[in-house]
Amino acid sequence: MKTASYHILRVGMAITFIWIGILIIKSPESWGGYVQPWVTNFLPLPLEQIMIGTAIFDIVIGILFLVDWQVWVAGLLGALHLLSVLIVSGITDITVRDVGLLAATLVLMLDSLPIKLKFIRPITQRFS
Amino acid sequence: MTFEALIFTFSILGISETVYLIKKRILSEKPVCPVNEDCTKVLSSKYNKLFLIPNDVLGLIFYIVCSLIAAFLVIIVQPLSLWYMLLSVLVFVGSVISMYFTYLQYNVIKAWCFWCLMSACTIWFMGVTILLNNILL
Repeated sequence: MKTASYHILRVGMAITFIWIGILIIKSPESWGGYVQPWVTNFLPLPLEQIMIGTAIFDIVIGILFLVDWQVWVAGLLGALHLLSVLIVSGITDITVRDVGLLAATLVLMLDSLPIKLKFIRPITQRFS
Repeated sequence: MTFEALIFTFSILGISETVYLIKKRILSEKPVCPVNEDCTKVLSSKYNKLFLIPNDVLGLIFYIVCSLIAAFLVIIVQPLSLWYMLLSVLVFVGSVISMYFTYLQYNVIKAWCFWCLMSACTIWFMGVTILLNNILL
């Protein structure tokens, strides 16, 4: 059985991911301003479209967290996404909070791993 | 933005509560009842449906609609005044129905359900947020 702290973290992360997705849809060009100039040279699509795609991706991750379904997948995707954000934005005064969010997504992923992936579990439980 | 963020946050909390209750009902499991053990008594009472639809499903639909309206207000999907009015009416009706359900728990079923009270408080907080937004703006 999952603990109350797990559910509080899960719902909190759901709110964060869905809300950020909505804010990016509102003004994708502003959020695109955080992307480092060197990254834009490698983008296959216009930055605005990439940001809209990112927003939808964030909302999907948030919904998975919210309905408590495939949380480990959402945690994995969220962690990879946040890692990519830290790479393309750099760690600034604003993006430093993503380090905490990255840690939270990893916690949710590791805490909701399915039995099929039990070979990872002993590694995570070794620290307890 | 603060107003929409609060309405959205309360709606998401409501979605998480109702999804939890729906899951437990479908799996025929007892929900965790942090305050006392009366949740099942309330949730399995004859008042657990409104217009033949389970209250948790009605609640989920209500919260999803409210979160969508909050998102529309943020993204500026026109007509904003219509969305705002619809949200106000929905939350007002939701608050009244929540008062009725709280009365049922207190006086008719004579048992308290933690999740029902939490959902009622969530809707009332949404109502207070709308009232404060009207007063302050």
